[in-house]
Amino acid sequence: MGTISSAFDLISSGLDADQSALSIVANNVANANTPGYAREVPNWQENSPVEINGVSYGAGVTETGPTSVRDSVLDLRLAQQQQLASASSARLTALNSIQALFTPDSGSSSSAGGDIGTDITSFFESFSSLEANPADNAYRQQVLSSAKTLAGNVSNAAASLESQKAAIDQDAAGVISQINALTTEIAQLNQQIQSTSPDGEAGVLEDQRVQDISQLSQLIGINQITTENNGLSITTTSGQLLVSEDTNDALTSGITGGVTHLFLGGTDVTTQLASGGGELGGYLTARDQDISNALSALDQLANQISTSVNSQNNSGTDLDGLEGTGVNSAGVSGTGNSPLYIFTQPTQVAGSALAMSVVITDPNQIAAASFGGGTGDDSNTVAMANLANQPIVNGQTPSNYYAQFVSVLGSTVSEVQTENSAQNASVTQLQTQQNALSGVNLNDEASVMQQLETSYQAASQVFSLLNTIMTSALNLGVETAVS
Amino acid sequence: MESQPECRVEFDLKNVIREASRALALLDTDRLEELAFSCQALNRNPIPQDYAEQARIAREARRDLIVFERVLEVTRANIGVMRILQKSRKGRLEYHPGEG
Repeated sequence: MGTISSAFDLISSGLDADQSALSIVANNVANANTPGYAREVPNWQENSPVEINGVSYGAGVTETGPTSVRDSVLDLRLAQQQQLASASSARLTALNSIQALFTPDSGSSSSAGGDIGTDITSFFESFSSLEANPADNAYRQQVLSSAKTLAGNVSNAAASLESQKAAIDQDAAGVISQINALTTEIAQLNQQIQSTSPDGEAGVLEDQRVQDISQLSQLIGINQITTENNGLSITTTSGQLLVSEDTNDALTSGITGGVTHLFLGGTDVTTQLASGGGELGGYLTARDQDISNALSALDQLANQISTSVNSQNNSGTDLDGLEGTGVNSAGVSGTGNSPLYIFTQPTQVAGSALAMSVVITDPNQIAAASFGGGTGDDSNTVAMANLANQPIVNGQTPSNYYAQFVSVLGSTVSEVQTENSAQNASVTQLQTQQNALSGVNLNDEASVMQQLETSYQAASQVFSLLNTIMTSALNLGVETAVS
Repeated sequence: MESQPECRVEFDLKNVIREASRALALLDTDRLEELAFSCQALNRNPIPQDYAEQARIAREARRDLIVFERVLEVTRANIGVMRILQKSRKGRLEYHPGEG
């Protein structure tokens, strides 16, 4: 076996392997800026030696193809952190919009939704001003005007919150389209990978699949399950199947009880997706938790203020001498035919904020006097002013209830901001690590290229030498052994 | 003759903590070490401030400190993952005779 011919074969295999490895380096350099590309390294494999009469003869080398450098543990951790960071970013954006409705901007005295806190104070103070002059039209107008401002700002804030809900539904619909496009693509890639690379490295296809999964994990909370033949199944964090190897289930949306719900395979998964992470999770948490809480607090405030003020006004006599239909604190019933209300009388708590409005136009209809009291009587006005200091809204005064609502909202924004900062820091750390591992470093590639070039030159030298020996041997006509 | 204006030094705790969070996010150990040395130096020679002033500075930096604490927590968790990664890569590079 140890012939010049076999030596040619050996060195040819070396030249071929070097050339193949150089192609891998060239591909790395070409894809240095390609998003999602993981650098590849050549795999060298010694050809099985040939054994003759107990002597082993080397058979050269083969470059068996490239392997992408990536780590699934790191990819998984990065995907998890991206889910959390995307969820908190989406939620934070919505929370900032909610907060802008209730908290004045710096340097400004009122917020986007007016200043409900001041409106509450002004409204009850207007009754205090009326106490001294219960028949004065100007003071009555002031009560009416401050009631309109309060009702208007509460109703506008509720309408803005409803608009934000609708905007979130639209954003969520956009996210659902992206999710469905990605799961379709991942299912197709699974099929290609399973048919072309069932046991090993899938190269470009794997790069594409990893990149798609990374994008998907920013949109929705997912779990990955590796299946046989290099396949992959993807579920939501609560276990609903999104991709099963080469098939995918599409997310759909539908209206249930006036609210957009999300379905997967016919099952309503809205609640599960809200807590699952990703942009979609953040949107749903903002819509179903943060906005809902704010709306419900406003509804409670509007309902209790309207009900208490109406009840008190209905227990008095207006400037035209008309009595309400209520019963006063002394247990005396009014003789009126219809109730004397200032605000729209709520029938239920839900929707009270949006519906809050002033129903009287004539300031004379403010019942400043008690039953049987004359135009100079202010006893019912005093009672209405005192409502400001009574626990009429969920056991708190109206101002304290509103202040606490704004304070809780501020704390929530602050908490989510903190979480978002930490999660973004975590994503930065992991991306840096992933780039160091899988990214193409041009200096490293230049160094590898230099090594391969030297190896190729050395093989060429051997080839050239063998050629010289072969020529000499042919001239002599004698076979020359090479050992 | 005009008197020299009093040089007022204020310890910007808030920005020091923000800078530390940023350096930690980027795993910039050199910058973190610089900040640690600065804090050590300040501890040795504290800037004279009354209690109320110190309390104000601490209050203002409270939120940034909470963020720093959370960044520190996620960094610990990430370092755990990186250690596993390093260990598995080291294992692949080492020569184990008799295996395979």
